[in-house]
Order: sequence, then C-alpha cells, then structure tokens
Amino acid sequence: MTAAAAALPDRYRPDFAGFAADRREPDAIARLRRKAFTRFETLGLPTRQQEDWRLTDLSGLQQWNLQPPTIVPVDAGALPTLDLPAHRLAFVNGRYAPGLSQLREMPDQALIASIGQALLTHPELIVPYLDRLPGLEQHPFAALNTAFWEDGALVYLPPGTVVETPIHLIFHATGSDMAVYPRLLLALDEGAQATVIVEYQGAGRYLNAPVTEARLGDDAVLHYHKIQQESPAAFHFGGIRLQQGRNSEAYVHLLSFGGLVARTDLEALLDGEGANCTLNGLTLARDQQFSDVHVRVDHAQPHGSSQQVFKSVLDGKARTVFDGMIHVRPHAQKTDARQVSRNLLLSRQAQANSNPRLEILADDVKCGHGSTTGFLNPDAEFYLRARGISASRARAMLVHAFANDSLNQIRLTPLRERLAHLLAAGLALDFMETE
Amino acid sequence: MLEIRNLHATVEGREILNGIDLIVRPGEVHAIMGPNGSGKSTLANVIAGREGYIVTEGEITFDGKNLLEMAPETRACEGLFLAFQYPVEIPGVANLYFLKAAVNAVRKYRGEPSVDAMDFWELIHQRMDLVKMDESMLKRSVNEGFSGGEKKRNEVFQMAVLQPRFAVMDETDSGLDIDALKVVADGVNALRSPERGFLVITHYQRLLDYIVPDQVHVLFNGRIVRSGGKELALELEEQGYALYNEEPGRARRAAA
Ligand SMILES: Nc1ncnc2c1ncn2[C@@H]1O[C@H](COP(=O)(O)OP(=O)(O)OP(=O)(O)O)[C@@H](O)[C@H]1O
Ligand SMILES: [Mg+2]
Repeated sequence: MTAAAAALPDRYRPDFAGFAADRREPDAIARLRRKAFTRFETLGLPTRQQEDWRLTDLSGLQQWNLQPPTIVPVDAGALPTLDLPAHRLAFVNGRYAPGLSQLREMPDQALIASIGQALLTHPELIVPYLDRLPGLEQHPFAALNTAFWEDGALVYLPPGTVVETPIHLIFHATGSDMAVYPRLLLALDEGAQATVIVEYQGAGRYLNAPVTEARLGDDAVLHYHKIQQESPAAFHFGGIRLQQGRNSEAYVHLLSFGGLVARTDLEALLDGEGANCTLNGLTLARDQQFSDVHVRVDHAQPHGSSQQVFKSVLDGKARTVFDGMIHVRPHAQKTDARQVSRNLLLSRQAQANSNPRLEILADDVKCGHGSTTGFLNPDAEFYLRARGISASRARAMLVHAFANDSLNQIRLTPLRERLAHLLAAGLALDFMETE
Repeated sequence: MLEIRNLHATVEGREILNGIDLIVRPGEVHAIMGPNGSGKSTLANVIAGREGYIVTEGEITFDGKNLLEMAPETRACEGLFLAFQYPVEIPGVANLYFLKAAVNAVRKYRGEPSVDAMDFWELIHQRMDLVKMDESMLKRSVNEGFSGGEKKRNEVFQMAVLQPRFAVMDETDSGLDIDALKVVADGVNALRSPERGFLVITHYQRLLDYIVPDQVHVLFNGRIVRSGGKELALELEEQGYALYNEEPGRARRAAA
C-alpha cells in the first residue's frame, strides 16, 4: 500500500473511536460500523494502481484535512423543489432538517422518515436490513459510509402500497474539508410502487459519500432518480445497491452534473425471475471535472431484462468514465440485456472513456453493447446558423438533441424541464423552450 | 442588392474561386451554370459564410453592407438564404421546433417579439400547401430519413416560411421528378417580387423554363467566363462546356 493510501485511515482512526463512543443505537448497528471501519482500514483509500480506480484521481482529496460536519442554518430558498406535491425530506450536512422538510400523510404502515429517528422508533425496519444487500464490498467509500453514517432516509412500503406522490430527498452540504455520509434505505415490499428523487447539492469543498440500498420485492416498481449537482469543489462517491425480486421493475436515472470528482457505483442484482432493470444515465462534465459511472448488472435468474443507456456531454478539459458490466449467471437463461454508451465531446481537450463488458455464463441469452464517441456535427451547426440561429443556440439545440431521449425518460415534467435548463446552463448554452 | 467584386476564395489552401464579379439587382433572378467542380457551391458557401471557405481577395456587399464581416446567422437575419445542395440531417431536432427557432431568431434580430403561436401555425400551413409538404414532416427530425426529393422540398419550404430577401438555391432541382420541380419553381415564383433577388444554381435548362432568369452565367474553373440572357442556357444544353475547356480566348470569342 502506498503512503498516500494509508494517510486517510490514520486520520480517521481517532475520529471513529470518538464517533462510535458517542452514539446511542442498537448494538447490531454499532457492530456493523466497527466491521465496516475495519474493512475500510484493510481496503485503504483507492489508488490508481487498482484497476477499478485507475482513472479516478484522488490526489486532490488527500490534501484535505477532513473534519466532521458541523450544523449550519440553510435557507429554504437554497434547496430545490419539485414544483409538485411531494413527500419532502431535507438533510443538511448529513443531518435531518425537519424545518426544510414536509411530510404528508402516508398509507397505512408505510413510512418515510429520517433513518436516524426511525432507528429509535422502528428498529425492526432497519436493523435486519441495513448493509445486507450484496455488492460494493470492495468499495472503500461505501465502507466509510457504513462506519460513519449519521442520518438519511428510510422509505418502507408494505406489500401492495402504491405511493403516487413523489418522494423527494434532498441532501445539501455546506462547509469546508468536511465529509458527509448520507444513508438511504428503500424497501418496497411485494407489489409496492414509488417514485423517488434524490438530489445531492451543496457549497464549498466537501466529500459526500452516500450509500443507497434499495430492495424490491416481487412485482414492485421503483422509479429512482439520482441528481448529482454537488459544488464545483466537491468530491462525490455514491454507492447504490439494488436487489430485485420476481417481475419487479426498476427505472434508475443517474444524472450527474456537479462536483470536481464524482463517481457513482451501482450494483443491481436481478434476483427474481422476469425482473427488469432500466438504467438511464446522463452526465455533464466541463472545465476540470471528472465524472465516472461504474455499473454492474447481475442477472441471477431466468427471463430477466436490463437496458442501459449512458450518455455523457463533455466540455473543457473534462474527463468521464463509463464502466459497465453485464453479468449473466449460468442459470439465468432467456436474459435480455442491452447496454449503450454514447459520448458527445464539445471540446478537443475533453476525454471520454467507455469500457463496456460482458460476462455471459448462460447460453440462451440476448446480450448486446455498443459505444460511440463523437463531436458536434459542424455541418449541422452551420445548417442551423444559416437559418439565422445563433451559434450558441445552435449548439444548445444539438446538445439537447443528443440528451433529449435521456431527459424524456423522466416522467415528472417540472423535473425534466429543470434538468434541461441545468444542462443548458451548465454548458453556458442559449436555451429555448421546446414545444 | 448583392454585389460581388473580384472574389477569390480558397478551400483547404486550394484556390477555387479566381476573381468573380457579379451584380444581382432587386427583383432579378440570375442563374449560374457550370460543370461539376467549377466552384458553384463554393460560391454559395462563401456567400452564406461557411467556415473553411477563405476569401483571399475581393468583396461581397449585400445592400451596401459588407457581407464577409458578418457571421452566418447575421447574414441570414439580414435576409439571406441558402438552399443547400446537400441538406443536413439533424436527428433529435424536430422540423417544426427548428423552424420556429429560425423565425424567432430573425424576429429578434429585427427587434420584433417572438412569433405568436397561432400566426406561426397559419404561416406554416399556408407554406406547407404551397410546397405540397405533408404535415407529418413537421414532427420528424430535420431532414432525417427524408428522401432526396423531400429534402429539397424542405429547403423550399423553409425559404417560403422565412421569406428571405435574397436566396441562393444550390441545385435545388437536382434529383427531382417533374412534379417536384414545379413545386420548387412555384415556391420561388411565389416569392418573386421587385424587392427580392435570386441566384439559382442549376445543371438543367429545364428549371429555367419555370423560373425564367434575367441573366445566365457560366462558371468555369472559378470564374464567370460568360454571361447572357436565358437563351444561353439553351445553348449550353446543346453544346455542353467543352468549348470552355480550351484556352480562354476561344471562350471569349464564342461569347462575342
Ligand atoms: N470542403 C471542401 N474540402 C475540399 N475541397 C473542396 C471543399 N469544397 C469544395 N472543394 C473543392 O472545390 C472545387 C469546387 O467544388 P464545388 O462544390 O464548389 O463545385 P460545384 O461547382 O458546386 O460542383 P457540382 O456541380 O458537382 O456541385 C472541387 O474541386 C471541390 O473538390
Ligand atoms: Mg455544387
């Protein structure tokens, strides 16, 4: 292990002892934290010698003197809204902010709550399930999260519960040299349905390493949106574990716009027959941004299907990585798995890496992947300009054309429109309403 | 309205236009004919302001304004239109959205408010009838999957909607059947007015039966080697360009 890799765990050791000593929570949770911290000590911070982290530059982070988060007041105006009625939970620096939240009436026995509070009131919904899903075992930031998480959200829907009102979870971070570890636990029992929008944003120089665990029972349907819009100085390492039962459907939208260094690792286990997993990724990276998506879709049962479309728009000296694995186990016959990665370069200095991978151990399957990288078509740009459309609007129209089918997957109209504006603003493009 | 003086232009370091002089007055239609590779599209692209076409000498003015100093979109907003020889496919940008963006860009340039939705809808339908275009084309992406003829028709449709003061039509008639040819001609003739000018690039005399030009020019090796009335087109149809392949003296004699 290199010296740099050892540095962060050493800095954390006293923190963890202090952190753990203060907490009043079930023993099972305390044990989980200790185990996770030990795992982190073994793993260390990732280095570029590790294949999985080869392209991720953590040197910036290692200069920081990481502090625990502090409590700061945040104005409600600083937080995004859905412009729709929503169950809204806001967290500032990893802690629940009731004043910025709005909880609405829920169906019987269903629960949307701060996971910190729910641990006291409903430990039975958390203790048996926290950190139980497979995946991300080798992910140091996921281990740090399990060791240090303070709060986050719990969504529990009993069998057959359909929650139409979107669930909006906002994680706002503000401070400097601070690390936050939000935790999300989503449990949709048999036939339950929910739409969840998770937004990460903030101001200042901080590390955000959230972990989401989503468990879908048979026939459950989850629409999950992750909107990563961290501050331009932030590091974001998010982990998502997803486990799907028979005939369940997961629609996961990963929108990554912010951060200096941002990465999402998603592991989906299709553990019931006929499960479907649709992944829709859209990344915008500019200036010196680095943005990375690592996805592993594991087909463990027959008749499952998965569709992945990941797009990146890059400007300036930005770099992106898409690393996508489709794994089909021997037993998972009749699997249909697709993966597409497309990159649009707006600058000659930007760099997109795509690494699609297949591991197919069953013989009767349909699997395919493809990857393309290209620049804006100068002929198309000229064509638009020759009709009077300004250069910046022409570029906006072409970028929008590239990103449009990703945005169109998002069914909440105000959210989709906000994201289209964000995309345009992020590229300093002239944006005009579509029809 | 459009004045071209001693225009020299290079593409990728190669001189393609070698001193073109051409004046089109308001209300006039000029035709340009010439063999493949003689520089017709290059001239059209230089007028429209395409990147990569470098003017090394000479000038172009449009209503007295220096055209070469303007960005392509400014030229369009000033009332210039190029019907492309090869219209570009733009997947993901709907035709209707594109047209509205174009109309509003021009209006903004003139200091006018954005077009009223109802007015726009009417304008679109009226022009669609003129070029006999199907409504389904509006929802489709710009030129994507259009047949050759549909692409050309779409160029005329855009021209009819934008109503430019000066239009350069680069082989808009190529690859069209007779009916489509008439549609293109109708599109141009409907716009013809004492204030408007046209530069029609074509290989076929046939088009000029429908769009009767005031003058015909022969472009050869990047120069206008001959100009004349509409009968020049008929002569070219019969004799081809072989004549101009000889030393320039003969071409001049033939012109005399
Ligand atoms: N973008 C370009 N790159 C390289 N060469 C070019 C480019 N555009 C034009 N040329 C060259 O300039 C010359 C003139 O081409 P141009 O397209 O103007 O001819 P044209 O008269 O329009 O021919 P056609 O009747 O076939 O359309 C040709 O030799 C062509 O190869
Ligand atoms: Mg040509």
